[in-house]
Parts: sequence; C-alpha cells; structure tokens
Amino acid sequence: MRTLVFIPAWNEQASIREVIADVRESLPEADILVVDDGSTDATTATARKSGVLVATLPFNQGLGAALQTGYLHALREGYDCCAHLDADGQHPATEVARLLAEVVADRADLVIGSRYSDPDAEAAADDYRPTFSRRIGIGVFRFFLTLATRQRFTDTTSGMRAANRRVMALFSAHYSPDFAEIESLQLAVREGLRVEEVPVRMLERTGGSSFLTPLRSAFFIFKGVVVLLVGQFRPKHAEPER
Amino acid sequence: MSALPLAASDPTTVHLTAQTRILAAILAIAFMFLILELIRRDRLQERYSVIWFVAGLGMLAGAAFPGLLELVADAMGVRDTNVALFSIVLFFLLGLALNFSVIMSRQAAQITRLAQERALEKAREQANGSAPRRDSERSLESEKQSL
Repeated sequence: MRTLVFIPAWNEQASIREVIADVRESLPEADILVVDDGSTDATTATARKSGVLVATLPFNQGLGAALQTGYLHALREGYDCCAHLDADGQHPATEVARLLAEVVADRADLVIGSRYSDPDAEAAADDYRPTFSRRIGIGVFRFFLTLATRQRFTDTTSGMRAANRRVMALFSAHYSPDFAEIESLQLAVREGLRVEEVPVRMLERTGGSSFLTPLRSAFFIFKGVVVLLVGQFRPKHAEPER
Repeated sequence: MSALPLAASDPTTVHLTAQTRILAAILAIAFMFLILELIRRDRLQERYSVIWFVAGLGMLAGAAFPGLLELVADAMGVRDTNVALFSIVLFFLLGLALNFSVIMSRQAAQITRLAQERALEKAREQANGSAPRRDSERSLESEKQSL
C-alpha cells in the first residue's frame, strides 16, 4: 500500500518544517510532497532542506489548484491512497493517520477530518474556538452542503482529508480552483463516492495568519452559496476509473 | 440623443439622419481597417477577429441601408430607430463580454494545468536528482548535506 501525504503551502516557511517532521513521525511509510503555491518566502527551500519532494507552482493559483496538483501527482505516480493536511500546523499527523486508516480499510473513498463532528461538543471544545464570522460561515455552509448532498457534514472547509484512487481520478480532472473544499465535497457525493467525516483534534496555528476579515468572510460565504447552487446543476461525469 | 427626423415620411417615427449614416459608415470602415491592421501586426488572432468583422459589416450595412434598421426597429416595437440601434449594440456587447469571460475561464484553466504540470515536472527533476530511494533515506542524506 503506497501512500502519499501532500501538503499545500503558501508562504508557510515558519511552520512547514515541523509539519513535515510531524508527518514523518506519524506516517513513516508515506511519501511526502509539498505543493508550494507560488510562495514568495522560503517555503520551497525550507521544505527541500527537510528532504521531501516539492512541487513549486510558478505563481499563486489558489488552494484548489495546489490540492489538485497533489491529487494529480498521487494518481500519476500510482499511489494507492493519499492524504493532505494544512501547512500551518493546525493538523496533527496522528489524526491524518486515522483518516488514512479509514481509506485503507475501504470504509470510504474520501474521508474528511472534522473539528466538530459532534455539534454539541462544539462550544465545549477547548482545542478550537472559531470567531463569530467564522461560526456564521460554518453554519451557512453546513446547512447548504447538507441540503445539496443530503448527507450531514459538519466541517465543510476542513483541509485535512484522505482519499483513494477513485477520488484522485475525479479530483485531478475536476477541482474548482477557488472554491476547493466545499465544491469538491458536493462533487464527490454527486459522483456517488462514499464520503465520510471523522472527528479529529486540531491545534492552534503555529505560523502565518488567517486570511479572513469580516468583509472577506461575507463575500466568501456568498460565493460559496452561489457555487453550491450552480454545482447542483452540473452534469454528472462518467464513473471515474478505479 | 434625438435625431432630427430629416428623412421622415411618417412624423411619428424617428429615423437616422444622413449625418449619422455618414458618420457610422466612416467609423465602420475605419474600424475594419483597424482590425485588419491588428491582425497584420500579430496583435489579434484571426479567430477572435471574425466577430469584430461581422460587427463592422453590420455597422456598414446599417449605414448604407437604413431600411434594414427600421425593419428591425419595427419588429422590436420601437418607434425611434436610434433606440433600436442602441439596444442592439448593447446586447451585442453584452454577448461579447460573456464570450470573453468564457474564453478567459478556459484560459485560466489551461494556465493552472500548465503551472501544475511544470510544478510536478520540477518535483520529478528533484526526485531524479537524488537517487530513487525511499523518502526517509533521502531526507537523512540531505540533512547531512545541509549540516
């Protein structure tokens, strides 16, 4: 069972080294690929120094394009399963290993690491406290995605996922460059893939800062809802190859 | 934008003036020359020029045969030929802008894929640079090198 763990990174020189070390420790068998999404800092150099493969996009293309690069690599290099996690240190690699276990056991095609699979535990969780605007966004996306897919999702924007080859084939062909997380879930469910959420523990960010200001959040939410609506009318694709 | 109904036979309809028609014809011809010149200098690809040529010819036809435009205005239920002209041009431009958005989206997707291919190619080069061994072994070696 060959496994690829890829890490999309955009200006994450401060945290990328620890993230790589963490993945190595928890998933010693896995190959690691860092996808540098056109960073202007030393992300590529830092990652290379850690001895992992780095795919450097020549200019910033957005998270979706970076993730798709990872899926494309996994598909072409014949990996059996793959996983990705954020480069800012929010995602402990031990949790990624749990997601991968679900895929390896063939209980799901795509597994999402959810910060709050139990909605009641949300407020009590000490690990992660979302801001007000974020909470609204989370609620809106949760509602619309559940409506669109008729499947319950709690952490719609989670960047911690594990997938098998069916997902690699689908995502390397179709992946929205600007609305990666939500649209991909909708797409996967529409294409009849088994998508599963697994509750995971997440940490505070160790480097960088969140890009979301209130205004941006509002626009992000609006865009997300439009994207979901349009996505409902997309034609279904042929069954992706296994 | 009311034009004097110089050539008006029916006082309730507003027609293009001779002045407007001459101006439109001159602009249309100048426009088509500009398109030709842009193609000649490789500033515009032929496949994107067709639509502009059609637009130029349309302008010329409208100027030469005002009856055509009046026919259209009549069909639209518009009394003022100028208003008909404006709405036609407006919708034409709207369609064209949409067409460009479609082309832009396609090209954005192509650029993204190109960037991804290049990135993966660089990663492969990196992989071939060091011996094709397990990831963890490679890391040990490069860590030694960096020390």
